[in-house]
Amino acid sequence: MENATNFTDGFNSTNGTFEGFQSATPKLGFWSGLLLPTLYLTVLVGSLYTFSSLYRKRQASKAAQLEPWFPSHRTRDIYLSLLHMDPSEGGNDEKKLKKVPDNVLKAALLRRAVEDIQRILQLRTSKPALQNLQQRGSVGDDLMQRFQRAEKEMEAEIKDVVEEANAFAPNWGQVIFQSANEINQHILLKERTAEIEAQRETEKEWWENKKATIQSDFMKELDEEEEKKITQKKAGGSDDDAVLVEAGGPAQAQGGSKKKGR
Amino acid sequence: MDGVPDVFHQYPLHLDASTKAVSAASLASDVALQNELKELNTLHRQIIALETPQQMVPPPTPVNPKRSAQITKMQETAAAASKKGNYKEAIGLYDFAIKMAQERPPWEASGLAREELSGLYGARAQNFMALQQWADGAVDAELALEMKKVGNTKAWMRRAQCLREMGRKEEALECVRFGLDYERPGPDKAGVAELETYLKELEK
Repeated sequence: MENATNFTDGFNSTNGTFEGFQSATPKLGFWSGLLLPTLYLTVLVGSLYTFSSLYRKRQASKAAQLEPWFPSHRTRDIYLSLLHMDPSEGGNDEKKLKKVPDNVLKAALLRRAVEDIQRILQLRTSKPALQNLQQRGSVGDDLMQRFQRAEKEMEAEIKDVVEEANAFAPNWGQVIFQSANEINQHILLKERTAEIEAQRETEKEWWENKKATIQSDFMKELDEEEEKKITQKKAGGSDDDAVLVEAGGPAQAQGGSKKKGR
Repeated sequence: MDGVPDVFHQYPLHLDASTKAVSAASLASDVALQNELKELNTLHRQIIALETPQQMVPPPTPVNPKRSAQITKMQETAAAASKKGNYKEAIGLYDFAIKMAQERPPWEASGLAREELSGLYGARAQNFMALQQWADGAVDAELALEMKKVGNTKAWMRRAQCLREMGRKEEALECVRFGLDYERPGPDKAGVAELETYLKELEK
């Protein structure tokens, strides 16, 4: 009751023109006196709430519509596909009805962890660059939102993998990412080796060709020298200098063809 | 599960009843998937070969010493053959040792594999050089360097020599200079001195 009167008092003091209104109110009951303020509050709070919830929903759906940072996680899909494989597919034999063996699942989980490691590395290396770009205003908020979402997903994904690993053997979760990291290193090593190995054939071929040309050049040189000697002898002149200049030929030819070969 | 989709794409996978190999015959055109499954099956076989309790994948260290011992033994035999002048035999042995080192289970410490492979490639490069197969020597030396760039003066030297023998003096110079950049702060003073003198020789 006090509230109601206070309210009307307030009304009164601020605005004198409501005299008539005030005289009508005492006739109304207690509940009807509260009706107006409650209605006011409900409308206010309700509209605020709907606005905020709508806004948030819209923001969330906008964020969800953004393209994910990474393509779909293939190894995760394979692992889960194996986990949910239809047991009847193995055949009608009762023994074969058993689900996928643990070792296959372990391998699949390890492959999944390797993929995670690659993604973590990618996130880690691109983070400082991205932050820098954002500070300068070179990239939009969308990109940052996508990145943050990817980070969040990654965290959950790692937790999930650790849990799965611990389900196979206690404490495997603590070392599975170490193993995965080594596997990743191993893959990189293999790639680099393959890249360099691929040069071997071309290098060999190049060298064989080069050797052949050097040899033929050298032989030609010898022949020419002989011929010259003969002609010089015929001419009766003995010009050693000319021969010396010619002898410098193969080395120069070598130096010249070096760039051609590469 | 904040923000993570609780859904996944189910692949129509098939598990072979006897070999336990996973395949997806209906998605033969998806090359990436097929490669991934191949990797998965290889890893699976490596896990089956494990002798640990419950066939659990062990942490990267300590490494099972069996393979290292075998590789060392083969390396010694190869070095002995090389000393006798049987370079071809030595190269064959090194080939084998390299293969063994490459087939190490991938979860084992990669630093060890790098170390071993670097030594093996370096030694094979030397044997190729003895046979005057400069192209092979250069590639092997490069591989040795790829595995281990610092503390590998011999490999830098070998690569430079091979390049020079093939008449690629500029590349040889570049190689020696790079090598010196890597090696100068290192402890191998004799190797650095050797590289320095070779550099001077090349710069003439």
